[in-house]
Amino acid sequence: MEAPKTIAHQIGGVQNDALRFGLQGVKSDIIGSHPLESEYQSSRRTQEEMKQRILGNMYGSAFPLKMDLDRQILSRFQRPAGAIPSSMLGLEALTGSLDDFGFEDYLNDPRDSETFRPADLHHGMEVRLGLSKGPVCPSFI
Amino acid sequence: MSKSAVDIPPKGGFSFDLCRRNDMLAKKGVNPPTYRKTGTTIVGLVFQDGVILGADTRATAGPIVCDKNCEKIHYMAPNIYCCGAGTAADTEAVTDMVSSQLQLHRYHTGRESRVVTALTLLKKHLFNYQGHVQAALVLGGVDVTGPHLHTIYPHGSTDTLPYATMGSGSLAAMAVFESKYKEGLTRDEGVKLVTEAICSGIFNDLGSGSNVDVCVITKGHKEYLRNHQLPNPRTYVSSKGYSFSKKIEVLSTKITPLKEKVEVTEGGDAMEE
Repeated sequence: MEAPKTIAHQIGGVQNDALRFGLQGVKSDIIGSHPLESEYQSSRRTQEEMKQRILGNMYGSAFPLKMDLDRQILSRFQRPAGAIPSSMLGLEALTGSLDDFGFEDYLNDPRDSETFRPADLHHGMEVRLGLSKGPVCPSFI
Repeated sequence: MSKSAVDIPPKGGFSFDLCRRNDMLAKKGVNPPTYRKTGTTIVGLVFQDGVILGADTRATAGPIVCDKNCEKIHYMAPNIYCCGAGTAADTEAVTDMVSSQLQLHRYHTGRESRVVTALTLLKKHLFNYQGHVQAALVLGGVDVTGPHLHTIYPHGSTDTLPYATMGSGSLAAMAVFESKYKEGLTRDEGVKLVTEAICSGIFNDLGSGSNVDVCVITKGHKEYLRNHQLPNPRTYVSSKGYSFSKKIEVLSTKITPLKEKVEVTEGGDAMEE
């Protein structure tokens, strides 16, 4: 059998592409590659938590719990893996990100990635049902 | 908090993929490319019926003038405009993005945008990126609560002032404002003072130059005076044009014809698999 002509592009799992992800080590896994990256993610999380707490103080602790259930239901409501990505309209309407417009909406959109690989429907469904591992759509950088 | 591991489709944004590689290369002794010095003079002041914004039109990249007549007064909303200093791409991206957000908000509420809304959106965004989005802004506009003028620093701190300057020529322009600004200026006095402040930046700061742009915003009305004053006209243009005596020699020519890459095969049952 002929050897494959291209090197498979690795996305999930153990990342040993030293040029892109640095040498494998505990330290480089814990701290992010750039101070802004970790700062940005943690500020997102704190803002989310703060919003939940404010809603809890205002409407009682049942309200954020109920919202969280809604969020879980709506985040599962997705298209099967394939050519058309899920729009997540319900989830965005719930979280309020429908009214936001930021860098993540128009810069470095994964759908415009140069290393686009057509999604495997069977693999995507298996991942979603918990039968196999990995991201649903291992096609993006 | 939701612990359920349902991955929603990934979104874009800044990519940090190459930071580790760049760190490694820098440690090995590869000199990373340096930042290019930028320079600007932008000003704004509150006069008796509204706000006047002003800017020079030179785009600097280190020792080179990239553009002699660029626009630094950006549209935010019909009643709000914003001057940008710093990296041109960043100021344009941020103001365009926030103007889209304001448009969405206007569709949502059906009312005129307020200046504080634009201010909050800008400072929230800039603070989230911790100064890595290099945009120093002067935001001015007139809404239902009256005229407002704000300055926003790249890290997200803001000031509310009757007259404001930003950019490398801010000291020269502020000197003019400090000596001549008074409350209740008329429109013509205000435009004259803004022009004078920008000219002080143009002639005393190397990063600023060329022409003066002015934008006058009053209640329900705006006036964008592009190239209001041209203090640095081109003094000499060769009447004959330029001609080059020697033609460029062609040393060798090679033409590679394109090949057919797509193969079309006929027959076979499409439903077989």
